[in-house]
Amino acid sequence: MFIVSSAFLLEAGKRSTVDFYVNAITPLKLEIPAGWPEPPSNIFTNNPLTEEGFQLGRKLFYDGRLSKDGNFACASCHQQFAAFSTYDHDLSHGFHDQFTTRNALPLFNLAWKKTYHWDGGVNHIEVQALSPMTAPNEMAENIDSVLLKLRKEFAYARMFKSAFGSTMINSQRMLKAIAQFVGSMVSANSKYDKVKRGEDSFNRAEAHGYELFKAHCANCHKEPLFTDESYRNNGLALNDYLKDYGRMRITGDPADSLKFIVPSLRNVSVTFPYMHDGRLYSLYKVVDHYRTGIVQSATLDSSLRKPFNITDAERDELVYFLHTLKDTAFLNNKRFSQP
Amino acid sequence: MIDFKMSKTLFVLLAISSLFISFNDANKNAAKSTVKIIFVNKINNSRIVLNDSMYTNPFKEKYTVSKLRYYISNVFFKNASDTFPENNSYHLIDQSKDESQSFSFNVPEGRYNSLHFLLGVDSLHNVSGAQTDALDAANDMFWTWNSGYVMAKMEGNSPASTVMNNKYEFHIGGFSGQYNVLKEVVFNFPPATEVFKAHKTYTFVIDADINAWWQNQHDIKIADHPVITTPGINAKNISDNYANMFHLEKVIEE
Repeated sequence: MFIVSSAFLLEAGKRSTVDFYVNAITPLKLEIPAGWPEPPSNIFTNNPLTEEGFQLGRKLFYDGRLSKDGNFACASCHQQFAAFSTYDHDLSHGFHDQFTTRNALPLFNLAWKKTYHWDGGVNHIEVQALSPMTAPNEMAENIDSVLLKLRKEFAYARMFKSAFGSTMINSQRMLKAIAQFVGSMVSANSKYDKVKRGEDSFNRAEAHGYELFKAHCANCHKEPLFTDESYRNNGLALNDYLKDYGRMRITGDPADSLKFIVPSLRNVSVTFPYMHDGRLYSLYKVVDHYRTGIVQSATLDSSLRKPFNITDAERDELVYFLHTLKDTAFLNNKRFSQP
Repeated sequence: MIDFKMSKTLFVLLAISSLFISFNDANKNAAKSTVKIIFVNKINNSRIVLNDSMYTNPFKEKYTVSKLRYYISNVFFKNASDTFPENNSYHLIDQSKDESQSFSFNVPEGRYNSLHFLLGVDSLHNVSGAQTDALDAANDMFWTWNSGYVMAKMEGNSPASTVMNNKYEFHIGGFSGQYNVLKEVVFNFPPATEVFKAHKTYTFVIDADINAWWQNQHDIKIADHPVITTPGINAKNISDNYANMFHLEKVIEE
């Protein structure tokens, strides 16, 4: 009897809190597009995806306060119309008129990735944002200073409370919110996807380009994500100025020299220029690289040791196909735009 | 809105289970001892003074220490049959913060054979995303370009260093593969020495001889290696050296 009555008391005490909690938190679910594999791990296991967390992450993503001089939000190098890469820049710009050392990768379908960055140096989506925030040639800030700036804003106190239950602002909450926003970006509605779903059809050139793609490219740029998430040396000469050996910097293993992550080709028509240092300005140049530009080296991918033998007309058809991977609905999705 | 009936059942269950938990806790609390672990960082038997004191390493190289931090994690005591871990056991020992150099937790009274801890952060917590407290990225002990914790960090100046401003910098990390720097440290107690009585506090004073970083398994001269800030063979060699830096100076019963 004592137990039961104390339970009622407990409940009376808790009711308002429970109601508040239920009203405040709106769970979201990451939708897996039909026919896609399950993500290799659930990036939201220890970071339950909610509307409030997503919206906080969205505000942070577009906020220059995350940079030292206020000029460099995440979004300054990750522009939505360029599928969250930097439009028309080989290297992006950072603090104090400095260049970054690599081409900004686009952001979408991150929940299916095992590692982040061109060299796979980042092992969890939550810690990725630390890298651009603290790099002296990118946002050039330190974490404590960012948190001090955020704590001065009433809007953030309110949003951290609705996302995480209290107004406390710390690095973990900030990083988890950003991870909720960028981890929710899914691009799966291109013409290619519509064709696969039977809602559209390729024209003759695109259809032939798709056949060429499957024959020559799909081994590494594996459907439906258009990457197999491996690191490969695709025959680019070492840039003497950047001296970027890619994956080897992370593993210290000479066998990884000049290897970079295979990037997804989704939205590839808006993410030019191409390659880890943005050295190739058009998709035609990219295909030409595989036809005639491969530099032989010890770690060159075995699939590229023989030249890529297609005609100029076939090159054009392949590029037409690559244009069908542009997902206009994603590029214009208001949920991901500046709040 | 949540369903009222559902919530009533839930809270009854919660109330019952919390009663059980508290009975259980009460039983355990009846026979607890407190252990306190203190780390004292020394060079040549004197406590380290940051910045202002000049020290000499085994190669007669002079050096100062401006920064000294290392992680201690997964602390537990062991008896003949069982282990008794500290909960959420992550500590960043920082020479510039006195309060960081000791911590306490409770274990059941009884006889213990050994004290164990990890010098560094276990591999799981290097791949688990954003953390808080000792593991907060804002502590400047997390590599942003190659995810993972800097397990131990020492910086300062030395006339033997050839780099700018005669600096030396050691950021020692790497949690997997051949260059894993994680080190398990064990102090075995002589038979029948460590009997913890209930309601008493046992303070373990552990001296860390920082000069062990330079020489033990491998010779590390500042002149040869003023900067070691990436995982690899040099970081591994330093960790082999500093794995032996700890010495259990004394245990105080109070």
